[in-house]
Amino acid sequence: MIKNYFKIAFRNLLKNKVYSLINISGLAIGMAATMLIGLWIFDELNYNNYFKDKATIAQVFQHESANNIVDTGPAIPRPLEFALREDHADNFKHIIMASWEQPRYLKHGETNINRLGHAIQEGATEMLNLEVVEGVRDGLKEKNSIMISKSTSASLFGSETAIGKIIKVNNQHDLVVTGVYNDIPENNSFSDVDYLIPWKHYISSQEWIENAKTSWGNNSFQMFAQINDNTTMEAVTSKIIDVKKNASPEEAEFNPQIFLFPMDDWHLRSDFENGVQSGGRIENVWLFGVIGIFILLLACINFVNLSTARSEKRATEVGIRKSIGSHRGQLIFQFLTESFSIVLLAFVVAIGIVLISLNGFNNLASKAIIFPWSNGMFWLASLLFILITSVLSGSYPALYLSSFNPVSVLKGTFKAGRYSSLPRKVLVVTQFTVSIALIIGTLVVINQIQFSKDRPVGYNRDGLIQIPVMSSEFIGKHETMRTQFVASGGAISMTTMSGPATQVWSNRSGYTWEGKPVGFQEDLAHTSVNYDFVKTLGLKLVEGRGFSRDFPTDSNAVILNSTAVKYMGIKDPIGKYIRDSDVDDPFTPLKIIGVIDDMIVQSPYSPVKQSMYVFEKYGNIAFYDLRLNPAKSTSENLALIESVFKKNFPNTPFDYQFVDEEFGKKFRAEERIASLARVFTLLAIFISCLGLFGLASFVAEQRTKEIGVRKVLGASISQLWMLLSKDFIKLVVVALLIASPVAYYIMGQWLQKFSYRTSVTWDVIAIACFGALIITLITVSFQAIKAATSNPVKSLRTE
Amino acid sequence: MIQITDLEKFYKTEEVQTIALNKLSFEVKNGEFVAIMGPSGCGKSTLLNIIGLLDDPDGGSFQFNGEEVSNYNERKRSELRKHNVGFVFQSFNLIDELTVFENVELPLIYTGVKPAERKKRVEEVLEKMQIMHRRNHFPQQLSGGQQQRVAVARAVVNNPKLILADEPTGNLDSTNGNEVMDLLIDLNEAGTTIIMVTHSEHDAKYSHRIIRMLDGQKVTENILV
Repeated sequence: MIKNYFKIAFRNLLKNKVYSLINISGLAIGMAATMLIGLWIFDELNYNNYFKDKATIAQVFQHESANNIVDTGPAIPRPLEFALREDHADNFKHIIMASWEQPRYLKHGETNINRLGHAIQEGATEMLNLEVVEGVRDGLKEKNSIMISKSTSASLFGSETAIGKIIKVNNQHDLVVTGVYNDIPENNSFSDVDYLIPWKHYISSQEWIENAKTSWGNNSFQMFAQINDNTTMEAVTSKIIDVKKNASPEEAEFNPQIFLFPMDDWHLRSDFENGVQSGGRIENVWLFGVIGIFILLLACINFVNLSTARSEKRATEVGIRKSIGSHRGQLIFQFLTESFSIVLLAFVVAIGIVLISLNGFNNLASKAIIFPWSNGMFWLASLLFILITSVLSGSYPALYLSSFNPVSVLKGTFKAGRYSSLPRKVLVVTQFTVSIALIIGTLVVINQIQFSKDRPVGYNRDGLIQIPVMSSEFIGKHETMRTQFVASGGAISMTTMSGPATQVWSNRSGYTWEGKPVGFQEDLAHTSVNYDFVKTLGLKLVEGRGFSRDFPTDSNAVILNSTAVKYMGIKDPIGKYIRDSDVDDPFTPLKIIGVIDDMIVQSPYSPVKQSMYVFEKYGNIAFYDLRLNPAKSTSENLALIESVFKKNFPNTPFDYQFVDEEFGKKFRAEERIASLARVFTLLAIFISCLGLFGLASFVAEQRTKEIGVRKVLGASISQLWMLLSKDFIKLVVVALLIASPVAYYIMGQWLQKFSYRTSVTWDVIAIACFGALIITLITVSFQAIKAATSNPVKSLRTE
Repeated sequence: MIQITDLEKFYKTEEVQTIALNKLSFEVKNGEFVAIMGPSGCGKSTLLNIIGLLDDPDGGSFQFNGEEVSNYNERKRSELRKHNVGFVFQSFNLIDELTVFENVELPLIYTGVKPAERKKRVEEVLEKMQIMHRRNHFPQQLSGGQQQRVAVARAVVNNPKLILADEPTGNLDSTNGNEVMDLLIDLNEAGTTIIMVTHSEHDAKYSHRIIRMLDGQKVTENILV
């Protein structure tokens, strides 16, 4: 019996090639899109699966409150380590202190490479289950050792063993390679970590780190932990939550709360809003999951519509089968078998589409997804996917077709009822509602990105580069370098900064100033800068001046941004002082010499943070910022700058970043969403139009005789075109009326998460509406005009 | 075999109710060949559909082999139909997507006959209908007469006790028409009961008895044999 069903299905496919093509290609595209989204979601949900002990690993976070705003982050003070080891050790398998991920130069012989890595305590290799392929697992025991990834070993030592060899780190420290571990795969935390140096080495390398040992206020470190198997994250958090508050009365005023942030949440649920976990990338997982389901539904709708529209063609078969003994259940099963075979065929095509487009998709989504050929779960999920799609697309046609009365069918009096096209109309409206809503959504995302890109950034990003200079060999050389860079003609000015121009690396509190409200807990972004700061970055001074060599006292001067002046409530700031609130050991008061227009350093979607720019005097230089010479080309400028750099630091690779590119990275997450949304919207529109095209050709075919008669009676081509197109246009207009307010509401909600945001404007909705109508007209016109221009004699004769 | 008593069938539209069968009663015995005649709209086809268990009566009784079947549900009706009744239609009603062999095989599939047995029986009946050489052709590749022979083959392949023929020669020329009538006679002589609806006096003469209908009622009954 099933063989017979498959046979009929196959012959029907061959007989109606156009409809089969529309059905299979629509379904295949829909299924491919859904599969890609499925693979993406699978990848997202399996983040950090490399770590076997994922369920018990956490990072130690803290909430801190200032002025009733709770700030949450991973930065913790050093004494926390000792407190946890002393009083709470029985809860943990591992307590691991670590530095922030940092690029360092690794040099062996003539090879000098720049790699990211951590200084970390020795239990890390065990906690993270690193696969050590050479050397020892506890390779971080000795102070002057280093463990490197396999790829780093290959870069530095080629095929030779790395063990026992010496790597010069940042042209400064000689460390012996004690272990080589397999690179941590993509899609995991630490996947870009290429070396680990001992924590012991790190804390002894710089004085401030040693001094931070007892400072509860210096949140400059991070801590990872693995809890014991017999406890839970919540239980441990409840025990350690007040450790800092109890240990430090000064810090208690910020109500610090220590908690474990589970590895399971690092990737997908990393956002906190005023101390409460508020989602993160998981929202994108939901968003694209819903889009995937919608696209599949759109493709299924095509199948349903074309199957039911062509029902009269299948009616005779139903009648005959019923008359020779088939009951309805068997017919339902037959039609479901047919949809299953079509879906199966579409699935095979979809796999082909996925394989062809996977590279492009990976680029678009910034992923490294590999097609899971050997994953049994994938094939099981695929089978389920095929069955669900078959039932979704096949059940209504099966129920509808099997319900035909054999008497009227066989008598030849069967006509689909007056309302039989209603479900089809509803489904077309559904398709276009989804497509139009997606168009509006995508346009709003694109608008939001553009709106934020157009926001004045407060400085001139173009022709500005920053050179990372974090190793000690650069200390004290910036004035010489500045002179040489400018003299070379590659740059017109240079300053130094303690952090990149596009990030805040340090926040400070503990200041007083004239008029500071009682109990006010300030939180200021703090950057050390140098002479020519205003000039090099192209900042706009609102009042006062920049740091100048003409004023020796500028070493104790500070520049504020406009937001800081408002935030601190300082009237007429120029000439006023900011002092240290620590009366026992105060630093020299800082004189406010200038106020600059707000410079966007952090998120372009958020308000600018109150910031202070102090004059650098402790060697706190992370970057040289250079304004390139506008009279020369960029490549000329870079060549000149590189030659100066190489002359002074022959053993250090010349690395630089364009500030505008670094700034552009801030839009990546949203741009990625926009690109994906654009692709899926185009697919949704394409699938919907494919269905509409099929329906239009069906209607044209069905009305051939009517068109012939009308032509004979004098109807013009344009009148016939109108006649055939207007029904579809009506459906799209209904879809517009439903989609517009829904999309308006949803996108309005989405925009709420940005402080600096555009709104869902009527022109966006108008563009979407106009676009949808044009696309519909083009789609249906092809069939309408074809029918309207056909020879009426021919169509009437066939009757 | 068939006992019909006071059978009624109405068709309702929004405003009008049409009586298709009006308290119709008659009987058909095993092995009989009965022709039903009458003008268009007199209720012949409606009667045939009810006897073929494709349609429900609105009143009266319909007994098949002594059992009241007018109140059977769809599943029971289709069971009874597939084991006992074969249909021959004026417009042949073959499935275009199936070959001659597959069309004839279909009733056997529904009655659960094993593939080897199916092949044997289909080939036998195709031989008998002299259409074996066309077994792998599709219906649209055959002439009208050939198509009707395939339809008859399909109707008899399950050895039904009853064949219902609705204008079986209506779409055929006289030569092909006579051939089909000869086939029906052969089947009847082999013991199959046949009820045939026809407009053709010529065809009706092949039967044992002619029932003439008008406005849903039996008006005369002529016994020919």
